[in-house]
Amino acid sequence: MTSKIITSALKSGRTVLTEVESKQLVASAGFPVVETKLAKTKDEAIEISKKLGFPVVLKIVSPDIIHKSDIGGVKLNLTSAAQVGRAYTEIIAAAKKSNKKADIHGVSVQKMAKPGVEVIMGMTKDAQFGPVLMFGLGGVFVEVLKDVAFRIVPLARRDASQMIREIKGYPLLEGYRGQEPANITALEDLLLKLSDFVDKTPQIKEMDLNPIFAYKDRAVAVDARVILESQE
Amino acid sequence: MNKSTDSVTTRLDRVFNPRSVAVVGDKQALGYMWLKSLSAFKGDVYSVQIDPREFSGIAELGVKNFPSLMDIPGPVDYVIAAVPRTVAPAIVKDCIKKQVGGVCFFTSGFAETGTEEGIRLQKAITDLAGEAGLLLIGPNCVGVYNPRIGLRHNPIQVYGEGGSVGFIAQSGTHATLFTIAGARHRIKFSKSVSYGNAAILDSTEYLDYLGTDNETGIIGMYIEAVKDGRRFFRSLKEIAERKPVLIWRGGESEEGARATASHTGALAQSGAVWQALIKQCGAIKVENLDEMLDTVKALLYIKPGSGTRVGLIAMSGGQSVALTDAFARAGLSVPVLTQSSYERLAGFFNIVGGSYRNPFDVSSSFLMSDNAISNMANMLDVMEQDPNIDSIVLELFTIISPFSKDLKEPDPLLDTIVEFKDRSKKPFLTIVSTAHSEPLALETRNRLTSKGIPSFPTFERGAKTLKRLVDYHRFKEGQYLN
Repeated sequence: MTSKIITSALKSGRTVLTEVESKQLVASAGFPVVETKLAKTKDEAIEISKKLGFPVVLKIVSPDIIHKSDIGGVKLNLTSAAQVGRAYTEIIAAAKKSNKKADIHGVSVQKMAKPGVEVIMGMTKDAQFGPVLMFGLGGVFVEVLKDVAFRIVPLARRDASQMIREIKGYPLLEGYRGQEPANITALEDLLLKLSDFVDKTPQIKEMDLNPIFAYKDRAVAVDARVILESQE
Repeated sequence: MNKSTDSVTTRLDRVFNPRSVAVVGDKQALGYMWLKSLSAFKGDVYSVQIDPREFSGIAELGVKNFPSLMDIPGPVDYVIAAVPRTVAPAIVKDCIKKQVGGVCFFTSGFAETGTEEGIRLQKAITDLAGEAGLLLIGPNCVGVYNPRIGLRHNPIQVYGEGGSVGFIAQSGTHATLFTIAGARHRIKFSKSVSYGNAAILDSTEYLDYLGTDNETGIIGMYIEAVKDGRRFFRSLKEIAERKPVLIWRGGESEEGARATASHTGALAQSGAVWQALIKQCGAIKVENLDEMLDTVKALLYIKPGSGTRVGLIAMSGGQSVALTDAFARAGLSVPVLTQSSYERLAGFFNIVGGSYRNPFDVSSSFLMSDNAISNMANMLDVMEQDPNIDSIVLELFTIISPFSKDLKEPDPLLDTIVEFKDRSKKPFLTIVSTAHSEPLALETRNRLTSKGIPSFPTFERGAKTLKRLVDYHRFKEGQYLN
């Protein structure tokens, strides 16, 4: 499965996997991921929504559109078939408006995940040291405050534990002001799994699992982004 | 024919412990720097020079000169080449033919110049040496220092007695400065090497060598870049588990942003990755020569300890506040003592013009007391006995110097401090900052250093050094670091 997704993307001349492909790839490797399906028509989107159960999230799926929410390509918390239908039409229109030449695969449909503490995990390849993992809190914590920790692959359990505790926002994971604490062991397990996965999958150049929702008993990746090594 | 089945690590031992050294191309214009550096070398020294104008100068130094390496009778373990760069390939060929242990190229003007000629010449010597398996250090460096056998690269470097500190530096100046400055701080070296452009041997090979070297207990490194990062990572991880390794990374500020498509890629700047690498391996990060000196000194002269609670003894009220701030900023805590300590202090401590909560302000009980020495002994002992205190810091003044004026006179305060240091089980250090007189502060620190008492010149340097030491021991114990 892993190699099939990678091969097919590379065959069509792409190194950036779509959200749906990225999620399929990590799900097939055993990562907990919010189930996400590709809808190519409005009717398909409604049908999938009914199957998954409301509320749902719709997002544009196009290798040419990277910043999905900036162009109006993301609709959250849709609670009925009518809302899903309208959202589908609006997203496709917005995508075409932002980039006439965009290759539009359709729209991804997923169940709205229960909110948790948002964290990010990712991998990039350092020019000197090879694959490196990153951990941080999601949203503004990673984007503005750059409150993240790195370790070089392969990680030991101790490295995973240490990098989670190293970030300044760690108290937020322990449960802050009545918020549910995150399961630290589940996050450590995910980091070790990611270390193992990137070690075994050298075709991946960089990736983000962002956000991951951390709950008191588990963690689940809500979005994924995988970039492959170009084949030269 | 130089191809050996022995590992690089094994073969480097011959280069770091040579019995014969040949200098190719030393000359008057260099002040015969290389031959003079070898004046105390315990072994055979040869010169190779074909310019007749240099013959008398070399002969005056009592060194036998030869027209080529091939003409030297007997084996040559280590060659230092200070020749014009265009001659470098010919010297490499001679080294291979002569089957020398290794060669260091002081010669510069290679790839570091970015010129076509320089890059071509570096490739030429790299190809020749690589093909033959010749151990080539540099080019553009000063090579090996081994004080025990008088192998130096600068005549100012000390020799005779060896120590346990090994140093690996990409820069020749840093190798020279650290080994010279180290001597003033009672840091003694096993070996050091500067390796310049790393054409053949890179930091990892030297790290592997010092990692196995029995004389080396502590390893310091100055690195700008490594060639094989994965190999360096594995070596560092393995060696840092056995010996403290300090890393000073140069050029951190020169890196620009990278073009990437992920958050992770955008945030993983080289500096952040190096920092992670150092942490992951349990090595110690330092940022400049002073921090390197301070931290090596701490590893040599401060007893190990992983506790973060500090007991502070300051010479005045203002100093006690500043000292507390410095240690708190460094991430250490300055807690209250136990009740029994306070009861004991109440018996001798003069709180008029002083205080003893922690920090102690000892102006009235020490600087202006008839019982200065016994009070100091008691204060140090209170800190030693108190279970709330993990390590002890003593500030000393030079405005009123509590030490005896004449170095030849008995010095009861110094004796008290030495006696305490010897019996104390806790990390202990002193800080003597400069007030009115840099020479006097230096003289005071030297006096302490000569007795094996670590002494630092500012509150901040003392505090950050203690934090680095504590963190190192916490990592060893498996604790989390923030």
